[in-house]
Amino acid sequence: MGKTVLIVDDSNTMRKIVSRALRQAGIDFSTILEAGDGQEALGVLEANQVDVILSDINMPNMNGLEFLKAKSENPAIKDIPVVMISTETGADIIDEAKSYGAKGAIKKPFTPDLINETLGALL
Amino acid sequence: MDFTKIIPEATEEIFATMIFMEVTSDPALDQKPEVLGCHISAMIGLSGGLTAMLGIHCPEQVGLAIAGGMLGMELDEVDADVKDALGEIANMVAGGIKERLRDENIDLELAIPTAVAGKSYTISAPKGSNRVVIPFTLEQGQFFIEIKYHLN
Repeated sequence: MGKTVLIVDDSNTMRKIVSRALRQAGIDFSTILEAGDGQEALGVLEANQVDVILSDINMPNMNGLEFLKAKSENPAIKDIPVVMISTETGADIIDEAKSYGAKGAIKKPFTPDLINETLGALL
Repeated sequence: MDFTKIIPEATEEIFATMIFMEVTSDPALDQKPEVLGCHISAMIGLSGGLTAMLGIHCPEQVGLAIAGGMLGMELDEVDADVKDALGEIANMVAGGIKERLRDENIDLELAIPTAVAGKSYTISAPKGSNRVVIPFTLEQGQFFIEIKYHLN
């Protein structure tokens, strides 16, 4: 059975770019789900089986760190791996994301190769 | 903190990795007109070590070409996707500035980008702000990246 990825970003454009980069990287997900912020992502995770999450940090309503924290407190979804994709690359923010369970971080702008390298180890 | 160097570096990196269009930066404008003759602008606020507004300003055809390059499709009207794409460029340029200024011990926070489209608007900054405007040239024409800032 194919794998499912959830892309969380408030920018519709960036969600499309990440989807395209996954295809260009040769990572074959059978289903690509999208959410516009952390709150919406939690709703998607309640209703779907997801294998990996790619999440922005800087988002309205519920940002990426708040999303990670909420996810880490829910036993049903806390073990789904998350990779942050963000312009936020400060060690303090990445360390905070990792403390809530993030498995890696990709800086925007990014290349398909970088996506492949980061996700390859998780899939 | 040399924005005439930082902004071209950050912008050229974005165009090379995610937009796949050749862009060249021109020298910063000496004369900085309030109205840049553009029809689409995306802006993002920065705060912390400095308070700033960074904007990307494009004529319609240039904005459509840039957004089309990002999305991998031809676009013929300025819609929410075009404004969203330019907002993401503003976000990534601001992220590049944040990363580079961290090396100078200036910490910044980024706001959420916003975009406007129209035929007659001006964008104002508080009096006394410093202002740097960098023109960039693409095959489709010229666009501008502007930062208005003051140190805290």
